[in-house]
Amino acid sequence: MQRPDRMSIYIYEFAWILPSIAIPVAMIVAIAISAFAMGINVQGVTGRIDPARVNETPPFDRPGLRQVGPNRYEAVIVAEIWRWVAATPDDKSRRVELTVPRGSEVTFIVTSRDVIHGLKIENTDVNMMIIPGQISRTTARFDIPGDYLFVCHEYCGTGHHFMYGVLHVE
Amino acid sequence: MTVNVGQLGHAVAAKPTGLWSWLTTVDHKRIGILYGVTAFIFFLIGGIEALLVRMQLFVPGATVLTPDQYNQLFTMHGTTMVFLAIMPLNAAFLNYFVPLMIGARDVAFPRLNAFSYWVFLFGGLLMNLSFVIGGAPDFGWFGYAPLTERQFSPELRADFWAIGLQVLGIASLAASFNFIVTIINMRAPGMTLMRMPPFVWMQFVTQWLLALALPPIAVALILLIFDRHFSTNFYLSEWGGDPILWQHLFWIFGHPEVYILILPAFGMVSDILPTFARKPLFGYTFVVYSGIAIGFLGFIVWAHHMFATGMGPVADSAFAIATMLIAIPTGVKIFNWIGTLWLGQTAYKTPALFAVAFIAMFIIGGLSGVMHASPPADLQQTDSYFIVAHFHYVLFGGAIFGITAGAYYWLPKILGRMLNERLGQIHFWLMLIGFNLTFFPMHFVGLNGMPRRTYTYPAGFGWELMNQLETIGAFIIAISFLFFIYNVLVSMRSGAIAGNNPWGAGTLEWSIPSPPPVYNFATLPVVRSLYPLWDGPNDSRLTTPAASTTPEEAHVHLPNPSYWPLVTAFGVTLAGAGIIFGFVLTGIGILILLAGAYSWALEPAS
Repeated sequence: MQRPDRMSIYIYEFAWILPSIAIPVAMIVAIAISAFAMGINVQGVTGRIDPARVNETPPFDRPGLRQVGPNRYEAVIVAEIWRWVAATPDDKSRRVELTVPRGSEVTFIVTSRDVIHGLKIENTDVNMMIIPGQISRTTARFDIPGDYLFVCHEYCGTGHHFMYGVLHVE
Repeated sequence: MTVNVGQLGHAVAAKPTGLWSWLTTVDHKRIGILYGVTAFIFFLIGGIEALLVRMQLFVPGATVLTPDQYNQLFTMHGTTMVFLAIMPLNAAFLNYFVPLMIGARDVAFPRLNAFSYWVFLFGGLLMNLSFVIGGAPDFGWFGYAPLTERQFSPELRADFWAIGLQVLGIASLAASFNFIVTIINMRAPGMTLMRMPPFVWMQFVTQWLLALALPPIAVALILLIFDRHFSTNFYLSEWGGDPILWQHLFWIFGHPEVYILILPAFGMVSDILPTFARKPLFGYTFVVYSGIAIGFLGFIVWAHHMFATGMGPVADSAFAIATMLIAIPTGVKIFNWIGTLWLGQTAYKTPALFAVAFIAMFIIGGLSGVMHASPPADLQQTDSYFIVAHFHYVLFGGAIFGITAGAYYWLPKILGRMLNERLGQIHFWLMLIGFNLTFFPMHFVGLNGMPRRTYTYPAGFGWELMNQLETIGAFIIAISFLFFIYNVLVSMRSGAIAGNNPWGAGTLEWSIPSPPPVYNFATLPVVRSLYPLWDGPNDSRLTTPAASTTPEEAHVHLPNPSYWPLVTAFGVTLAGAGIIFGFVLTGIGILILLAGAYSWALEPAS
C-alpha cells in the first residue's frame, strides 16, 4: 500500500501525543493543589510504641471506646493475630462491636502487637496499615446510621479472614 | 556428510538428539525451548492453583479448602505466575528470538545462558518442593515482614520462599548480563541500535531493569534469612528493627518487576501489529524512547504500593506524581499501536487478534492504575479486589495476552509448521470472554469492600453473584488453554509447512528457514533498515543458502556442548537448599559450585 508521506505522520504523532502529555500534567497539578493547598492527605503515623509493651503503654492499657466530648469519641484498638481488641484485655470475644450515636466523630487510635494488620472501615475514608511499633490515628464522622463493617485488610496469616468487626451507628 | 573434526571439534551433528544433548546444550534456541516448556508447565500449575482459589470463593463460607491450604495456594499462585511463568516465558522469547532478530549466531556467553536456565529450573523445583515437605509459603507473594519471621512462621515455608527467590534471582541476573552484552556487541553489520526490532529494544530495557532491580530484593531476602537463622533483627520492631524496611526494599524491586513482566509484551505487540497491518510501526522512535522512559520512571514510584503505611504528604504527593508520569510513555505506546492499525489492511489472524485484545485490556488495566496513583483514591481501593482486578488486567490482559500473541506469531518459526487458525480463534474468543468474566466483576466487589487474600467472606454484602461469575470465568480461561495445548500438539505433527516467512513479516528472524538451522545464519546478514525483508526482499545478503544444512557445510564454528553449566547450577541450588535442610549441604553445594565453575573456566575451546 502507499505509505502516508512523512510530514503528515509527524503532524498526526504530535496531535496524539500532546494531549497525552497535557492530561497527566493537569493531574499532577491537581495532586499538588489537593495535597498542599487544600490539605487533603491520607492518614499518617502519629507516634511510636514498643510492641512488646503495648499492654502497659497508655492509651493501649485500656483499649475500647470512650466519649471525650459532645459527639466526640475515641476508639483505642489493638490489633493482634487474629482479632481486634477494643475492650479490656481479658475479654476474649473474637468479633468486636462498637456502638456510637449518629453524628459522632470518632478518632481511631490503633497499633499492632505482632504482625502488620490493616484497618479499613467500609464506606468511610478510614484505611490504615497497622504496623508494629507505630501508632496510627485517624478521625471519621458518622452521619448515616447503619452497620459499618471493619476488616483487617492486610494479610496477617491463617486466621486473617476471622479478623473483622462492626461499628453500629444508631 | 564430510566432517572435519580437527577444525570443528564436537560441533559436528546438524541436529543432535537425545536427552544428553538437551542437558548439555548451549544453543540459544534449544535453551529458549526449554525455558518455554518449563515456564508453560509452571503456568499451568499456577493456573490450577488459581482454579482452586476460585472454587473456594464460589460461595460464601465455602470449605473446599482449609484456610491453611487457601493461603498456600494464593501465595504460590502469585509467586509462580510472576517468577516461574511470565518472567521465564518472556525469557523463552528472549533466548530464541533476540539473537535471530539482531542477526547473531548465538548469545555472547552460551554456557552462561545454559547456566541461567538450569538455575531457574532448580530454583522453581526447590520452591515447589515445599508443597510436599511441610507446606508451601503462606504469607503472600510480597512476604511482608514480620509475618515471615521465625516467631510467626516457624516452619520451613519462609525459607523455601526466600531461598527459592534468591536462586531464581541468580538465574535472571546471569541472563540479564548475558543479553545486555549480546545486544550491545553481537548485532549484524548494519544493525544499528535504531534499526533493532522493538521487541529487542524492550527486552534490552528489561534486562537493564533486571540487573538493577534484583539486587534490592537480594538484599531484602538476605536480611530476612539472617533474621530467621542468625537472630538478627532487621525487620523486628521490638528489637529496634523496622518492618517498613522490608516493604521499601521489596517494592524497590517490585515495581520495576512489573515493567520486567510487561515490557517484553509491549515489544512483541510492537512487532506483531506492523506485520498484520502491513505497514511500519507508527512512531518507532517514540516506542523506543517511551520504553526507556518507562524503565527509568519505574524505579521512582515504588512507594505507591505503601500509601496506607502513612508516609506523610510530601512523600505521598511525590510518589503519586511520579506514578502519574508513567502514564505518559505508556499512553504514547498505546497511541502508537492504534496509529499502526489505523489505515492498515489488518489481517485478523490469531496473533493479530491477541495483540489487539492486548491493547484494549491493557488500557483498562492502565486506567485503573492511574486511579489509584492518587493517594486518597488509593485508600478506597488498596487491598480490595479492585487492586486484584487492576493488576490482572495489566499482567493477564497485558503480559499473558501479549505472550500468547507472540506464541501464535513465532511458534511457526520454532515448529516449522503453522498452528491451526480455527483452533486459535476458538482459544482467543474463549480466553477473552473468560478473562473479562473473571476479572471485570472484581472491580465491583472491590469497590463494594471485598478484601483480597481472604479465605472466605460472609453472605449478605452483595458479593455472591460476582464471585460466582468470576469462578465460571476462571474455568473458561482454563478451557481456552486446553485448545491451545491441543492446537500445538496437533500442529507440530500435521500443521501446514510454515516456510521462511509465513506472515510476510519484515524482520530478520523470518529470513531463515523454519525451524532455523543450528547456526542461524549461514552468512551474516547486512542490514539497511528497520524492516530489511520489506525494503530489500531480493537482497542476496539477507538470504541463507538453502543447500547448506550443517554447520560445517556453512563453514560456521559453533560453541561446544557443555555439562558444566548444569553442574554449577546444581551446586548453586544445593548451597541454597542447605540453608533449609542443614548447612552440610551448603558446604557440599559450594564445593560442587567451585568445581563446576573451575572446570567450566578451564574447559578447552575446541
